[in-house]
Amino acid sequence: MRLKLKTVFVLYFTVSLLGLIYALMQLGQRCDCTEHDAARDRTISRLRGELHSLREQMKKPEPTNPPKPALPPTIHVITPTYTRLVQKAELTRLSQTLLHVRQLHWILVEDSPHKTVLVSEFLVRSGLTYTHLHVPTPRESKLQEGDPSWLKPRGAEQRNEGLRWLRETAGGRQGAQLEEGVVYFADDDNTYSLQLFEEMRGTQMVSVWPVGLVGGMRYERPVVEQGRVVRFHTGWRPNRPFPLDMAGFAVSLRLVLANPDAHFDGDAPMGFLESSFLQGLVTMEELEPKADMCTKVLVWHTRTEKPKMKREDALQKQGLGSDPGVEV
Amino acid sequence: MPKRRDVLAIVLIVLPWTLLITVWHQSAIAPLLTIRKACYHLVKELFIIPGTLAVRRHQLADDRGNGRRDTGQGSDSKEYCSPDKDIVEVVRTEYVYTRPPPWSDVLPTIHVITPTYSRPVQKAELTRLANTFLHVPNLHWILVEDSQRRTPLVTQLLHETGLNYTHLNVETPRNYKLRGDVRDPRIPRGTMQRNLALRWLRETFSVNSTQPGIVYFADDDNTYSLELFEEMRSTRKVSVWPVAFVGGLRYESPKVNAAGKVYGWKTVFDPHRPFAIDMAGFAVNLRLILFKPQAYFKLRGVKGGYQESSLLRELVTLNDLEPKAANCTKILVWHTRTEKPVLVNEGKKGFTDPNVEI
Repeated sequence: MRLKLKTVFVLYFTVSLLGLIYALMQLGQRCDCTEHDAARDRTISRLRGELHSLREQMKKPEPTNPPKPALPPTIHVITPTYTRLVQKAELTRLSQTLLHVRQLHWILVEDSPHKTVLVSEFLVRSGLTYTHLHVPTPRESKLQEGDPSWLKPRGAEQRNEGLRWLRETAGGRQGAQLEEGVVYFADDDNTYSLQLFEEMRGTQMVSVWPVGLVGGMRYERPVVEQGRVVRFHTGWRPNRPFPLDMAGFAVSLRLVLANPDAHFDGDAPMGFLESSFLQGLVTMEELEPKADMCTKVLVWHTRTEKPKMKREDALQKQGLGSDPGVEV
Repeated sequence: MPKRRDVLAIVLIVLPWTLLITVWHQSAIAPLLTIRKACYHLVKELFIIPGTLAVRRHQLADDRGNGRRDTGQGSDSKEYCSPDKDIVEVVRTEYVYTRPPPWSDVLPTIHVITPTYSRPVQKAELTRLANTFLHVPNLHWILVEDSQRRTPLVTQLLHETGLNYTHLNVETPRNYKLRGDVRDPRIPRGTMQRNLALRWLRETFSVNSTQPGIVYFADDDNTYSLELFEEMRSTRKVSVWPVAFVGGLRYESPKVNAAGKVYGWKTVFDPHRPFAIDMAGFAVNLRLILFKPQAYFKLRGVKGGYQESSLLRELVTLNDLEPKAANCTKILVWHTRTEKPVLVNEGKKGFTDPNVEI
């Protein structure tokens, strides 16, 4: 018995010793994971290089830019929005444009009795400076399913809410900083070029420019002679006081604050929404033409198709609709 | 005493093994730890630097008074430094710039192929698409016009964006039998343009090139989130994800099983297609495109909805597909369509100055 145990022990001891020696030799060789490590080392050194170059960029003063004032006027963009299938997509691509504009403050006003989760979470992730408001449109003024889009003015209450907030917030602050600003009404389905925002930044009272794809035409625009707006080039009801589209003008914040009663009249006849706001603020002669004397189109009144949901509706009837937990 | 001897024996047996295990473990872990630490530091710094470069952001209080938003940089670096992912991805949209972000030597290039054609909303579509692309690092835009010649509108637009681009053009042959500007209906729209871009890629990059790249087909009227581009950057062969507003549904998506493999398609319209996916729902690694130089979109005789399959079946099998967007549960791209603008007031002769570009 004893002999057997001893042999077993000796055998086991030898095996483990050999194993240990083998392992120690392996460690000495620095395993083949060095390949993996080397790639990472390379990546890290490249990253360090990039970091270094970024730091250099920071130190270098920008030679081409003339010294700018410390804070250019803030552009307050008021956007009414409402829940529908394409809402998240529209807000996404609008935010991608706005993200390029410095000193921009986005005032997003939902047509809703409360703030929706979709918009709240979207704004937090957007990276923009924003204010999230909401006000529901009263049912009589609301467009019903199947109504053509031009039947009732859309977004009037929401824009007024944006104005109200601005007046309330600016009224509290006495500093000149907040007074230096421009207010622009941007719908969530239009298309804006980056140049547009720089054009409107210097607005003293109300500035205007052409808008593409609106009024049943390629573009609508104010006609400028000798630096002043003399009339409007539009094919639809040109006798309105201001035959402009919502996207075709911007108002200085100072003017908005100086006229606390100026607001959008939701009951105004079709096409007169803009005029209902601008009438008390400014005359045609006082308008400031932008976009190269109103000869360039920097904003387009695009509209997004309502996506076809026939199959979705059919599935929903059978109780097999897509997962509502997946946000679209 | 036999008891003591036994104990001694056991100790002598166990000791070498414990020594072995501890030493081995230590030596394997240590280098990994140092790399991870270095990685975290670098990721943090890369995020912090751009923040100081940019205009300072602050959130004006809304009526609830939410206060300052936290950028949460710590959690991001962990995500990026995990050992099975490539170190450092992006470059979030925390900064403001009108130029594209600086070119990185580390990130694979995303080659975005966009076919386009002249119509009133073209400039608007390309403008907002460019505004999106200006946020994406290492993006190369291949814009292919459906025209006989490269138009000045597109040439000028591309030049002004500052993006890294290639401007190509090929005209889809018109159907002269029908009156008006009608293209050959047998060739689906955009096919020749996409194929031209694929050919350009194959002529420009050699198979042996080590420059990593991803190819994505982006139509000019869709909407893309910035997260999508970062998801596709890690494509090894072909990656897929859900697309909203296609096939008459809220979204179509690949079916992914528990093992993370694609086994089918969640669509109503012909789910038995080899690849029941929209053009915007997949991306291909450039290496695969170069490796299979015969793979193109089929020009003629393609049934509606089979265009994507005509290319993908020459590149991959279902098993090789990589699901992205949280295993195909998040929507990162929307198949939006822009309404055709009503131009009734232009009349027969045109009311507006045709020299003003829209």
